[in-house]
Amino acid sequence: MANRLRSATTVGVLLVSVLALTLLFGNTGERIALQMCVNVAAVVALAVYCGNTGNVSFGHGAFMTIGAYLSGILTMPTALQGSALPQLPKFLAGHELTVLVALPFVATAGLGVAILTGFAIARLKEASAAIATLGLLIIVHSIAVSAREITRGSQTFYGVPRITDTLFVLSAAVIFILIARAYRESRWGFFARAVRDDEDAATALGIVPFRARFIAWCLSGAMATVAGALQGHVLGAFSPASFYLSLVFAQIVMMIVGGMSSVGGAVVGVIAVTMLQNSVRNLEGGFSVAGFVLPEVFGLTTVALGLAILLIIWLRPQGIVGMFELGPEADSGVLRKFSRRSEPASNSAPVGDEQLVVSGLSKSFAGVTAVNDISLSVPTGQITGLIGPNGAGKSTLINLMTRQYNADAGRTHMGMADFTHLPRHAVIRRGVARSFQNLRLFHGLTAFENVLVAAFATGHTRRTAEAIALRELTAFDLADIAGMQAEKLPYGARKRLEITRALAQDPTMLLLDEPAAGMNPAETEDLASRLDAVGRNRNIGILLIDHDLRFVNRLADRIVVMNRGHKIAEGTPKEVRTNAHVIEAYIGWGRTAQTAISKPITV
Amino acid sequence: MDIWLQQFINALSLGGIYAMLALGLAIVFSIARLINFAHGEIMTFGGYGIFLSMALDFPILVTLTVGIAAAVVMALMMERVAFRAMRGASIISLLITSLAVSEILKVLFQNFISPRPVPISFPSLWSGSYQIGEMTIGVAPTVSIIVTISALGGLTFFLRHTATGMSMRAAAEDFEMLRLLGVRANRIIAVSFALSGLLAGIAAVIWTAQRGSVDPMMGTFPVLKAFIATVLGGLGSLNGAVLGGFVVGILEVLAQAFLLDSLAPYRDAIVLSIVIILLLIRPDGLLPARDGTRS
Repeated sequence: MANRLRSATTVGVLLVSVLALTLLFGNTGERIALQMCVNVAAVVALAVYCGNTGNVSFGHGAFMTIGAYLSGILTMPTALQGSALPQLPKFLAGHELTVLVALPFVATAGLGVAILTGFAIARLKEASAAIATLGLLIIVHSIAVSAREITRGSQTFYGVPRITDTLFVLSAAVIFILIARAYRESRWGFFARAVRDDEDAATALGIVPFRARFIAWCLSGAMATVAGALQGHVLGAFSPASFYLSLVFAQIVMMIVGGMSSVGGAVVGVIAVTMLQNSVRNLEGGFSVAGFVLPEVFGLTTVALGLAILLIIWLRPQGIVGMFELGPEADSGVLRKFSRRSEPASNSAPVGDEQLVVSGLSKSFAGVTAVNDISLSVPTGQITGLIGPNGAGKSTLINLMTRQYNADAGRTHMGMADFTHLPRHAVIRRGVARSFQNLRLFHGLTAFENVLVAAFATGHTRRTAEAIALRELTAFDLADIAGMQAEKLPYGARKRLEITRALAQDPTMLLLDEPAAGMNPAETEDLASRLDAVGRNRNIGILLIDHDLRFVNRLADRIVVMNRGHKIAEGTPKEVRTNAHVIEAYIGWGRTAQTAISKPITV
Repeated sequence: MDIWLQQFINALSLGGIYAMLALGLAIVFSIARLINFAHGEIMTFGGYGIFLSMALDFPILVTLTVGIAAAVVMALMMERVAFRAMRGASIISLLITSLAVSEILKVLFQNFISPRPVPISFPSLWSGSYQIGEMTIGVAPTVSIIVTISALGGLTFFLRHTATGMSMRAAAEDFEMLRLLGVRANRIIAVSFALSGLLAGIAAVIWTAQRGSVDPMMGTFPVLKAFIATVLGGLGSLNGAVLGGFVVGILEVLAQAFLLDSLAPYRDAIVLSIVIILLLIRPDGLLPARDGTRS
């Protein structure tokens, strides 16, 4: 419901500004509105990739080039085509389609190119992705300039049927907004945004970053191709330069100024920048202010765009709209509303008895042996503690077990399943979930969405996924703040949220890397009783790493102690407490240490 | 044999220019996490420096110094005016900032200097050639290879054997750690920009000597290739950038020399497609940078 309202708000903003332009400025206004709607389509298409994956693309100019020329050729009157493009290959010539009929072909062609290029580009992120997309732009541009038989080279390509109907382009822009909104709130949109915020955490949930980015790229590319076709029909005559760096720059400015992480941001950005461009363009030919005559300045609009983007990045890096969509704000009481209308998910059935077995795992980094021949087993229904001083190799061990690193030697097994050649994202499918030493939440998503993504990644339908998220958040006392952005939650809540997210995947094993680090005693105590309950009710096996000895001692049925990569002791908390090696490694020699460790622990 | 050597020299000369530009980009990226889209304008500004001092009839050595100095000054100014305020911003914000700086500078060049190419005439000696046995070899490519190799060699020496150079290499691997050790961030970043300006200035000298003119877009196209080279080499890896530059240059010259006439216009498209295929095989680049992140 709230999501529909958000889409409606964005569409509404566009409709109002188009209406205002046409009513206030007559013909000029209508011309501006027409171009503005095309820009909305193009920038929304661009933001489908950029906003959801967090990468910037320069390559969308390439899709627009393809769309403009292909649609131009398919719709061009046959007679005109004979004189303008005498050497056009046969299969492209003489179709004379209407624009509406040509668009599906254009979209398909764009999708094809996106799939082809996506295999390379979806592997990359951030700066590498930006430059690879720039490469795509250069490739397509240079082909458009060289393929004279098809494009007339760098000369003007003319004879393209013109679109002058604002309503047609406006409808296209609205459809684009709705598609982009639907994708953003879909399972694949969430996956892409999870990967954007934290690739390692997303992979541990079973999301394949390449696939998530690939789908965003393909959808975005196909949409941009259609937007390019529209742009071509609005212009009527164009050349490859019409879709090159300056257009790409202008569209990126629009996207960033509005805020690239939301669809509403893209639309607001286009509207704001269109206003700016048109006001400045009037000044470009020289003007006089209070008697001073300023000379003609070539490229004043470019300077204005440049300054606009610099100001936005300095003052408000998330853009005018910010991280969140236009429309109703995320509501902190979102779950209460949910619970009123949906059936809560049944408690997850206790998992069957299994064992996660580590045998002889070793790993060295540049000559330093971080983990040396470690064997241990984590049974379900128990909490196994893993303690050791800093640098003992505990986190490295978890990273080896979950395939974050490749082990130099040794294996991890779960029942019959051997993890040795398992890709990282498949570990969760064997029932092993984990948390991270440094919090790794999806900071751009709400608490609810963080858990929802995890349930989606397990393969649940939206209904079930929402119900599971509700169940887990309630169990960890996060329901009241579920609508808040994860980044803004208090520290203790964020720590709990990470565990909640892992539990939403109904794991058999849960590997917790310092879940109580940085918590105050009350929070630690609270976490201890919750973990205890989870272990008992759901029969989950927990491997618990922590520095807080009391915490581990209280919870663990068995404790494994590591020091300098070796396992130095294993046993019940009591056995471990009195083990001489442990005392030496963990606390060091001395009377105080002796008394500290042998004193009975009371909590 | 003859044609192969000729092409080899051309490839080294072009690859050297790309390598210097790519290395400049990589130094700044590895330290400031900035993909500097305005790097081309640094090179262009160097070109205008040469143009200005030629117009003033300065001796050739002074002219070259002015050109290189102009590029260094431009790089330092950019860092001070636009990028220092952005320290710690996301990679994407930095990238967009540099894009805006680049667009604004281009408009300034067009309005305050000239939208059209301005001529530069190097002494005729540069355009000459000499003979080794049967072969005719151009002076300009030879000089450019010698200059490139000395510049790269000098920089390697600087990075390996001076205190500043070593702290820069350390900064490239873990900047936060270096700051904790008390190395001044501003200084390291300024030096990295100065070095990238120096390399761009040298590239500008070689480039203008071969083309004979400067225009507002002069730096844009070679720098686009240099971007591709940095990604091909492995973003953030200094050795990778140099290797990537040479690979892109060599591919380009080979394509130029051996493509069928009908395919010749598609040279850039073919070269870049090969680079993308190489990236499919090695997504982290040919010589990936070290990554020190922990879970």
